[in-house]
Amino acid sequence: MITRIMSLGRRGCDLLEALGRAGIFVAQSAVGVPSREGWHLWVRQMHFVGVLSLAIVLVSGLFIGMVLALQGYTLLVDFGAEQALGQMVALSLLRELAPVVAALLFAGRAGSALTAEIGLMKATEQLSSMEMIGVDPLRRVVAPRLWAGFVTLPLLTIGFSVVGIYGGYLVGVEWLGVFEGSYWGNMQSSVEFVGDVGNGLIKSLVFAVVVTWIAVFQGYDLVPTSEGISRATTRTVVYSSLAVLGLDFVLTAVMFGGLS
Amino acid sequence: MKRSKMMELGVGLFMLAGILGLVFLGLRVSGMTLQAPGDTFRLEANFANIGGLKPRARVTMAGVTVGRVSSIELDADWYDARVIMELQGDLEGRLSRDTTAAILTAGLLGEQYIGLSVGGDPETLANGDTVRDTQSAIVLEELIQQFVSNIVSD
Amino acid sequence: MSDTPFVVVENLYFSRGDTEIFRGVDLSIPRGKITAIMGPSGTGKTTLLKLIGGQLTPDSGRVLIGGEDVHSQSRRALFAMRRRMGMLFQSGALFSDLSVFENVAFPLRVHTDLPEAMIRDLVLMKLEAVGLRGARELMPAELSGGMARRVALARAMALDPELILYDEPFVGQDPISMGVLVQLIKRLNEALGLTSIVVSHDIKETLTIADYVYVIADGKVMAHGTPRNLDVDQDPRVSQFVHGEPDGPVPFHYPAADFHTDILDAGGRR
Repeated sequence: MITRIMSLGRRGCDLLEALGRAGIFVAQSAVGVPSREGWHLWVRQMHFVGVLSLAIVLVSGLFIGMVLALQGYTLLVDFGAEQALGQMVALSLLRELAPVVAALLFAGRAGSALTAEIGLMKATEQLSSMEMIGVDPLRRVVAPRLWAGFVTLPLLTIGFSVVGIYGGYLVGVEWLGVFEGSYWGNMQSSVEFVGDVGNGLIKSLVFAVVVTWIAVFQGYDLVPTSEGISRATTRTVVYSSLAVLGLDFVLTAVMFGGLS
Repeated sequence: MKRSKMMELGVGLFMLAGILGLVFLGLRVSGMTLQAPGDTFRLEANFANIGGLKPRARVTMAGVTVGRVSSIELDADWYDARVIMELQGDLEGRLSRDTTAAILTAGLLGEQYIGLSVGGDPETLANGDTVRDTQSAIVLEELIQQFVSNIVSD
Repeated sequence: MSDTPFVVVENLYFSRGDTEIFRGVDLSIPRGKITAIMGPSGTGKTTLLKLIGGQLTPDSGRVLIGGEDVHSQSRRALFAMRRRMGMLFQSGALFSDLSVFENVAFPLRVHTDLPEAMIRDLVLMKLEAVGLRGARELMPAELSGGMARRVALARAMALDPELILYDEPFVGQDPISMGVLVQLIKRLNEALGLTSIVVSHDIKETLTIADYVYVIADGKVMAHGTPRNLDVDQDPRVSQFVHGEPDGPVPFHYPAADFHTDILDAGGRR
């Protein structure tokens, strides 16, 4: 019994220590804001993390918008309220689905790749040798990736929303015959730029920080073996998914919970 | 070197697309207008009951959106609702003095908005004027109540 | 060449988790010479290099390079100090997203503001010295192990350091590239007046180029001397290592229970 309590205590200490290390790590890295000479490194990571994730995010957004419209239509048409379809599609996308689903896809597509890439650089001693050359790998390797993640996920989220709303338009208006004017009109009268678009973007910015942080830290902190890399990659996806979903609840409660 | 130029181009397009997407979300989805505040003029209208009308609701004329409700407050002198509307600037001086404002509902359960219809008075409404002739929102519960009491009294 | 040693390690203690890796190591490495640090696998030779390079911090003891304590430097001063050191990693550790040319140019680009033409000249000079000027457009993935190590050597020399640390430079090389590397280390040391520290367990090759040898086992320096008069027989462990005997004080068997009882135990459980 006592040994169990002890092992619980040890785990608690380990967890706190890991959190502390992760905090110091991100603080030391994030000061490496992309400068003029580091610009090309940042561009490369933006490409790697953002442009290459664009396809999967946009395709998912299109389908999710289409499904939302289809489901929403069958529900709303019972109340004769199908003209509220645009409002429903836009609000669910902007407030919830775009930030959350884009963050989950980002964790799977870009986060795991970041972990594996940094992990491989660690395993092949590239990070050590960079240190011995007198270059701080936190600045050179980690910081551009961190900042690229911070910037790209909100952009991807915007893309997700736009494509999703268009997908809802395709299904709702073009296929199911909702009046086009009421699709856009209801949307426009109910969506608030700051309250909905803005809060959605704040969510996605928070998710961007958390997911990129987890991914990069897992890569930097892993055991440099092939098994260690594969485990860290899995951990990145699991931890960031849980963190995104948990934080989403907290953020939603803060942003929208007090309303109505 | 050519590859990195392509990369820069890709990232540039990516960021541009993100910004355009944000503009789309602003204009098309949240219905913000690019018009500067100077291009609008204010009208006020008092209603006995506004029902479910909310700030930012549409103001229409013949079904065309011509403005928005900017704020709603209680008029403490008359105990009715004073609705302040922002209309397109080019309508200033072109709405007759006996214009009527009615709170309408889109569909049976849809959002509520204000419909303006022009009368025949040669004098026109200017910035800050009040629309005299208003028609309150139709509140469904009251309609049903009237209907039921009519049946009972019959 | 001065008499004061360039690198001094004093009474170094280091442990990882519960295992003590070093229990009081003293080294003094003379300027301009090749010093070899040898010992069986798992004695922490790579760890020792990382301690000298300041990547790890000892539990107690000091490492002085040119009279300065490596571990009491600020982060910035440490990075400045490392410009005067080169390190050749076991795997080469070339940056996999940069070409051979860019790998060698990397330290120059980071630490100097030289014009592009001069960087090009310097890089080609370094690559010529390791015989790989023709391979400058290749990516690290296209190189053989020996070539990768030579490129890494060119990169380590790019800033003309005073000290080069070699981590197992001969491991996993065929006899030809091993010979090439031995020659390179020797020649570079003589030509540039470098101080070199070679960590290795390849006795024959190391002894041919080393000026002075330390043998480390069990977390301590077991023997040291010039290759010719290294008293290999003063300690049975050193003698076993140098002569390559499979069993001795360094046991062939990983610690285990008695073989006989182990076998019987398993039989009983079946």
